[in-house]
Amino acid sequence: MAGRRAAIKAIDWAAFAERVPPNQRAMFNALKTRSDTLSARMTALPEKPPAIDWAYYKATVAKAGMVDEFQKKFSALKVPEPVDTQTAKIDAQEQETAKSTAEYVQASKARIAQYEQQLQKLRNMIPFEQMTLEDLHEAFPETRLDKEKYPFWPHKPIADL
Amino acid sequence: MLSRLILRAAPAALRSLPPPVAVGVLHTTRPVHTSQQRLAPLPPLPEKGGEVRHGLIPEEFFQFLYPKTGVTGPYMLGTGLLLYFLSKEIYVINHETIAAACILSVIIYAVKKFGADVAAFADKLNEEKMANALAVKNGAIKSLEDAIEAEKKEQWRVEGRSFLFDAKRNNVAMLLETNYRERLMTVYNEVKKRLDYQVALQHLKRQKEQDHMIQWVEKNVVQSITPQQQKESIMKCILDLKALSKSAQAAV
Repeated sequence: MAGRRAAIKAIDWAAFAERVPPNQRAMFNALKTRSDTLSARMTALPEKPPAIDWAYYKATVAKAGMVDEFQKKFSALKVPEPVDTQTAKIDAQEQETAKSTAEYVQASKARIAQYEQQLQKLRNMIPFEQMTLEDLHEAFPETRLDKEKYPFWPHKPIADL
Repeated sequence: MLSRLILRAAPAALRSLPPPVAVGVLHTTRPVHTSQQRLAPLPPLPEKGGEVRHGLIPEEFFQFLYPKTGVTGPYMLGTGLLLYFLSKEIYVINHETIAAACILSVIIYAVKKFGADVAAFADKLNEEKMANALAVKNGAIKSLEDAIEAEKKEQWRVEGRSFLFDAKRNNVAMLLETNYRERLMTVYNEVKKRLDYQVALQHLKRQKEQDHMIQWVEKNVVQSITPQQQKESIMKCILDLKALSKSAQAAV
């Protein structure tokens, strides 16, 4: 019994709530209400049922062996604990998410590196007042006019003017 | 003007700024790419052009002649040259001369009066272009920084996934616990119900036996009262009543 009881960990719902992104807030609320309902149900039931007063019954019930038989069978009875089928699945889920999380963090770090690179490029640019057109085309390649594709002035489709 | 072109070599060419017609800096040489290496960026071009006197003649000419002829030297040279051209008729005065004089005077008057305004307008146009470009660049920098912040925040969020799984496992454990407790309670309730039933059954039987016995005793007693006894008991009751009434009358 004690081994089963230790499985319930205290959860810091405030810290949990902080980390939930806004688009998953509804799911978080549902989970929280379910958790709260379950814990309320659990605490409503007593941990052990009250003890049966065998002495009173022995004194009262006339039939001789009945109470003794009941008592014997009752103390011999073992209520089976319900089998835990889900925790293994949850652990498997956790492993999966650990993997996908690692990938996501990897990709995120790559993106951050890209952004940092671009940021450095932008920060180290020479100021516009000192640029020539050539320098501008080097810094921002999209400003370069494609003279092969559009050989006549203004070297870009008229709609882009 | 020619001297200025000679002084500034190739790479200082395309400038997007219009060169302003104003008093500028006096410079002798600019650093240029003389060797084949072209990797280092040149220092920026100066804001203003070279200094000129009377809009035409560069200051360097006056400085060049100053050691030998002093301040008035170039002017004497100019006057002398002019008189030479006129007197020797190398330059002939004709109607074109008058036309040139009129046109030039108008041009000079217009430039002196409106030059500054036009320059300011052109500068403003350029400033606007620069400001736009700068705004775009700053916007890009800011959006990149925000993106980096957002990515870091997402990474932090993801770290909290253990909460979710703990909550799930807790839920499962709570369900199991609740189930077990319910089972215990069921067992207890059932056993208690059966025992209570037996006790209640016994009480009921006892009750019924008692009631039955009382009834039976009453029936027998009533039966045993024979008619003779009934008459005797009625006579006795009447005598008692008379006695009572006498005593009552006496009391009243």
